[in-house]
Amino acid sequence: MRISRSFFCFFAFISTAWLATPAFSGDFPSDFAVDPAVVNMTLEPKVVVNSGKLEWVPFSRDLTPWVSLSYEDKRPAARPRQVKLVEPLQGDPVRGRELAIARDKGYCIVCHQLPGEQWAGTVGALLLNFKKHNYPNELVFQQIFDSRVFNPISVMPPYGTFGILNEQEIRDLVAYLQSLD
Amino acid sequence: MKRALPLLLLLAATAQAATSAPAPYRQFDPMEDYLPHVKGDMSLSGSYKHWKDPANLDWRMAGNPEENWKLNWKFMDPPFNASVHGGHFAADRGEEIFHELNRKAGRTGKFATCLGARKGNLKGLRSQYPMYRKDLRHVAGLEEVIEHCAAKEGRELQNGSYDNSAVSVYVASQSTGMPIKINVTSAGPLKSAYERGRKVFHARAGRINLACSSCHTYQIGLHLRGTVVTTPYGDVAHYPVYRTRYQLQSLHLRFIECNLATRTQPLKPGSQAYTDIEVFLTGLTNGYPVSVPSERD
Ligand code: HEC
Ligand code: HEC
Repeated sequence: MRISRSFFCFFAFISTAWLATPAFSGDFPSDFAVDPAVVNMTLEPKVVVNSGKLEWVPFSRDLTPWVSLSYEDKRPAARPRQVKLVEPLQGDPVRGRELAIARDKGYCIVCHQLPGEQWAGTVGALLLNFKKHNYPNELVFQQIFDSRVFNPISVMPPYGTFGILNEQEIRDLVAYLQSLD
Repeated sequence: MKRALPLLLLLAATAQAATSAPAPYRQFDPMEDYLPHVKGDMSLSGSYKHWKDPANLDWRMAGNPEENWKLNWKFMDPPFNASVHGGHFAADRGEEIFHELNRKAGRTGKFATCLGARKGNLKGLRSQYPMYRKDLRHVAGLEEVIEHCAAKEGRELQNGSYDNSAVSVYVASQSTGMPIKINVTSAGPLKSAYERGRKVFHARAGRINLACSSCHTYQIGLHLRGTVVTTPYGDVAHYPVYRTRYQLQSLHLRFIECNLATRTQPLKPGSQAYTDIEVFLTGLTNGYPVSVPSERD
């Protein structure tokens, strides 16, 4: 079994504040590729052939809320967070599968193999026949919410702590995984 | 008393800056010890043995999706194909611009000298970048210096723009085959930049909390959906690179691409953090020959 149960205890709670990083109160770091005047402030470069200018176009989403690599970015990153799942699970496995595949939600298939998906990643564990592990729901919930509680250097995104998925969405994903025969 | 107040406030403020402001919490991947030489890959991914000798690649591996990553794309470096690709057009364009700037009336040779050429000779220059620049008072990559020196000749060549990278490709092509050689082990600004770069390379960031090393050190050879990550050793030697989707991509634009793909706010080309990562990755390319013009998919 990969998820280690010994680490698991119920000290923490789920708070209602989801977002990970404090916003900037003043100006952005001077080296950010941003345009504060557009809705999605993050910019993407566009190389124009035979031109000495680099063009910048708005990126499809705003990435300024999360810590960057800029030395001027002094916002603390979100620390690992332990949570308690209140049962019953009440997750929707059909919705869970959609979330597992959706690019801007779980997108678990980048790293994991799930039934019926081609081009699966090989970074994470196989999630086929997940039911056979008999993991308790709260364990799976914590793994998705913030896997760093079990493995401090896990590369799996802390979906809950970083505000990528909300509590119900994680419940749906747990329900989906627990349904995989 | 009235006049002393601002001074007191200033003192208080500096005292606070010196004592408080602890570094904000950051998560780091385990800091791998890297050898600042391309052969260091033998203790990371071990793929170096397959691309060590550019003249003797096993081309069959290129066509095999499970083996392809072990060639670290070196089969797209010169002389993979004598036919013309976008990198060659860029080199031609860069040569034109270079000579235009270097032959400005009354300023003949100034542009080349500014870039660091001895007696106008570009041979071997690429192998020495990034370098500490006294005029800029910091370590800078070749593209930043091209922008700086072109401005002196009255021409805007923004870092990351096609024309800037084209000049970079041309300058690099004068060193093709010569090994990258920067000293990141003797105390000095380059060593400090290398150490900072190694640290940023391991710093988790962005919406999904990944560091460069999360993929490029710890997931080499593994599949992320359709792509397979390759070793960070030896990469710098083929930049700027021709890619159909980007026309011409400088190294810092590649960093932006990886940042955006992993949902991390990108920085401007030439930013200190990117330059430090460049110094770090250039250290990992020491000993490998400059391979330009090159192409990637
Ligand atoms: C960037 C890679 C990545 C992504 C994306 C990812 N995971 Fe993971 N996952 C991992 C890795 C690596 C592990 C191995 C344990 C660890 O390091 O946390 C893992 C472990 C797990 C486990 C424990 C499996 C076991 O048998 O021990 C579950 C459950 C899981 N992931 C579910 C998910 C779900 C659901 C999603 C999407 C919402 C997801 N993962 C997205 C990388 C990823
Ligand atoms: C989620 C995984 C991931 C992360 C995180 C990531 N990259 Fe990449 N990177 C890739 C993949 C996949 C490729 C394309 C395959 C290859 O060349 O290795 C790539 C390619 C590159 C290349 C081009 C290599 C070449 O030979 O042309 C460079 C340079 C690079 N990345 C640097 C970085 C840096 C610096 C960071 C951090 C700011 C970073 N990457 C973060 C996945 C990632």
